[in-house]
Amino acid sequence: MTALFRCVGVGKRYGGVVALMDVSLDLEAGKVHGLIGPNGAGKSTFIDVASGRTPGLGQVFLDGRDITRTPPSLRRRMGVSRSFQRTSIFPALTIRDQLELAAHGVGGENISELVGMLALEPVLDTRAEEVSYGQQRLVDLALALVGNPRVLLLDEPAAGLSVAESQALAAHLEEIAERWNVATLLVEHDMDVVFRVCHVLTVLASGRWLVSGPPAELRNDPAVIRAYFGSAA
Amino acid sequence: MLINALNGLVYGSLLFVLSSGLVLVYGLRRVVNFAHGALYMLGAYIGYSIAIRFGFAAGVVAAALALGLVGVALDLAIFRLLSARNPLVTVIVTFGVMLILEDFVRSVWGTQNYAIDPPQALSGVVQIGGAPFPIYRLFVVAASGVMAATLAGWLRWGRTGLFVRAASHDPSVAAMCGVRTAVIGPMVVGLGAAFAGVAGIVAAPFLSLNPSMGSEILVLSFVVSVIGGLGSFPGAFASAMLLGQVQAFGTVYTPELASLLPFLLMALVLVFRPQGIAGSRA
Amino acid sequence: MTTISTIGNDRVAGILLRRSTLVSALVVVAALFAVESLGSRILVSLLTQAAIVSLLALGVGVLTRISGLVSFGHAAPFGLGAYGAAWALSGGSALPPEAGLIVVVPLVAAVFFLVGLVVSRLEGIGFSMLTLALGQAVFVAVSKFRGLTGGADGVVVNLPRRLFGLSSDTVQSPYGMLVLSVTAIGLLYVELRLFELSHLGRLAVAIRENEERTRFLGYGVRALKAAVFALSAAVAALGGVLYALYQGFVSPEILHWSFSGSALIMAILGGSSALWGPIAGAFSFFFLREGLNELTSHWLAVLGAMLIVVTVAWPTGLSGGVETLLRRLAGAAKRRDTQ
Repeated sequence: MTALFRCVGVGKRYGGVVALMDVSLDLEAGKVHGLIGPNGAGKSTFIDVASGRTPGLGQVFLDGRDITRTPPSLRRRMGVSRSFQRTSIFPALTIRDQLELAAHGVGGENISELVGMLALEPVLDTRAEEVSYGQQRLVDLALALVGNPRVLLLDEPAAGLSVAESQALAAHLEEIAERWNVATLLVEHDMDVVFRVCHVLTVLASGRWLVSGPPAELRNDPAVIRAYFGSAA
Repeated sequence: MLINALNGLVYGSLLFVLSSGLVLVYGLRRVVNFAHGALYMLGAYIGYSIAIRFGFAAGVVAAALALGLVGVALDLAIFRLLSARNPLVTVIVTFGVMLILEDFVRSVWGTQNYAIDPPQALSGVVQIGGAPFPIYRLFVVAASGVMAATLAGWLRWGRTGLFVRAASHDPSVAAMCGVRTAVIGPMVVGLGAAFAGVAGIVAAPFLSLNPSMGSEILVLSFVVSVIGGLGSFPGAFASAMLLGQVQAFGTVYTPELASLLPFLLMALVLVFRPQGIAGSRA
Repeated sequence: MTTISTIGNDRVAGILLRRSTLVSALVVVAALFAVESLGSRILVSLLTQAAIVSLLALGVGVLTRISGLVSFGHAAPFGLGAYGAAWALSGGSALPPEAGLIVVVPLVAAVFFLVGLVVSRLEGIGFSMLTLALGQAVFVAVSKFRGLTGGADGVVVNLPRRLFGLSSDTVQSPYGMLVLSVTAIGLLYVELRLFELSHLGRLAVAIRENEERTRFLGYGVRALKAAVFALSAAVAALGGVLYALYQGFVSPEILHWSFSGSALIMAILGGSSALWGPIAGAFSFFFLREGLNELTSHWLAVLGAMLIVVTVAWPTGLSGGVETLLRRLAGAAKRRDTQ
């Protein structure tokens, strides 16, 4: 089965500096593909290029169709959605208003389910700038999930969350991938979340692809350990 | 043909010197000084009043000093105090300053036009390609070149220039590294204002003085900035030269449209390359 | 859980029927009646000028309030509206005068929509610089093309004897034009309020809050930004049309940057906390100027100083002040009730 979402040869240059070079990966419906690596490995850069946020090298395919040149707004309506590492929501709008805004663009059939799953019911009529950081991260995620996207690109959704919140998030992600059959890319630092949720991992180091494989195998891979700790631990 | 190109060079040089001041202040304070054109005008009028009594050179020096002081005052009183707020607030305030300066110039010097002759040493013409070309205009190009080169050199190789570039890039980090941003601010803004003032008096012999010269040149320097890319010196240079040529040839070949050509050019740039010639995509 | 989409409609119906709206409307009508019957000609004249220019200020204010952008060139749509009206009535157009007049505002809006598509590529300061340049471009163009616009001498507006059922004397008398312009302001206010509460209006605010995320939610942002720009231009253009009808004469000075600057001051003075802010700012401005004209001829400097003071010390403006006052009163009333 060909993958739903394919990234081929993704790269990014800033002037003379190569931040990312020739990284490819595939996303399959219902599966979570983790993208990990030490700081500066280029994980966020990868998501930025793959989601169309920054221009870069390489190609992106959705269901076999080349969407490399398609702008983000159109991609969203085709079902490719993303969340942001630095929370990107609408501070002065209420949670309800933001979700409604998202629904207007891509359809809102799954909103009640989302609100229930992420326990946002109590703060629906509160302005986003007034809810807790953890809930803001959930709103960021919720905005990406409105309208049942087919492909989900998540940039460190657990960033800044407590241990309990991260665990809850991991449970949500498992549920979302499985129940809604979403092809998910998960860029994450939090290894507990990664090893719990991901079906396959890709490891980046210094902007290049290092290795890919099932999480259990890669856990003890010496190359991976070296990339993180600089030498065999 | 050559004469037109030379005239374009003269005009472009002037535009570049003026726009440099704008770029300097924007780079450091992230603010576009809407009073910049008024500073140019003030320099011209102050320079004029001194020049008719004490000679042209004195006029230039007076313009530079006076406007340098005005620039320092602007930075201390306005830019620094408002630096924590939305940059648009400072921009609107500089617009207010422009109105005040315009009124000041009108009150002190009146609304009539003034003309000033170039200094004796630089008057007269030289033959270029068989046509006469005023020596003074060549001087304008040379002087602008010197100012631009000095500025570029200072920024590139001087220690203070390095500090200015650092502070422009990230004021808080620069401060942490020991760059005295409190001193650099007034210095840079003073320098930018002095540039504007000198441009004013240097241009006076061939552009004459009138109360609307400030706003006219301000709009043009904005056009230069938009075309060249906000905050970029090379961009300002390229677009000032371009506009100079467009203006020179336009006045000769399409006199009706000449004053609109800069705006048309700006519109084109916005459609096809909104970040300007040298700007980077956000 | 209530379906999210019906909430918008409830809100829309809500403001029209809200008590405060009805009360305000009644107050305005009563004040208008009082002024018309008891006011001196000078007062009514002043009020009429203020009302016409308040549409320009409102245009500036709407752009700031919805998109967060500051325009230094709104005299352009105002002036183009005025010149458009002059042209529609000049007999030079193919349309009968009344039809021509009706077309002016939508035409200006369409032009500024196209301009908006290009201009909205710049944000913040860049946008402001651009509006100044554009405003000047229009000023220069109109001053130069004497054939079309009469150049610096301006153009006389030929009002036909009757216009939309009103005699031209009524239209050009302060008493008549005051009623006309206040009605225009009232209708426009309601429409703008409806727009703000509509989905498009809230989308525009979302764009201002977080343009990138709005794009990543599936919206094409450029068209809407251009639409808001066109809307603010249309409001100013309406003011221009009324100006041309009232004054009977248009000249390039209504396109000058100093006029744009005054409009900006009015908008800032009134504040963007409430939609009616710029209107209040315009009226205050005119009365201030009347008063200060006696004292000084340095009107530009006073303008500049006023702008600085209001922007720095009182950024929320008159409307902000009123809102704070109302909130305090409401708070006091609530405390009284609970005691």
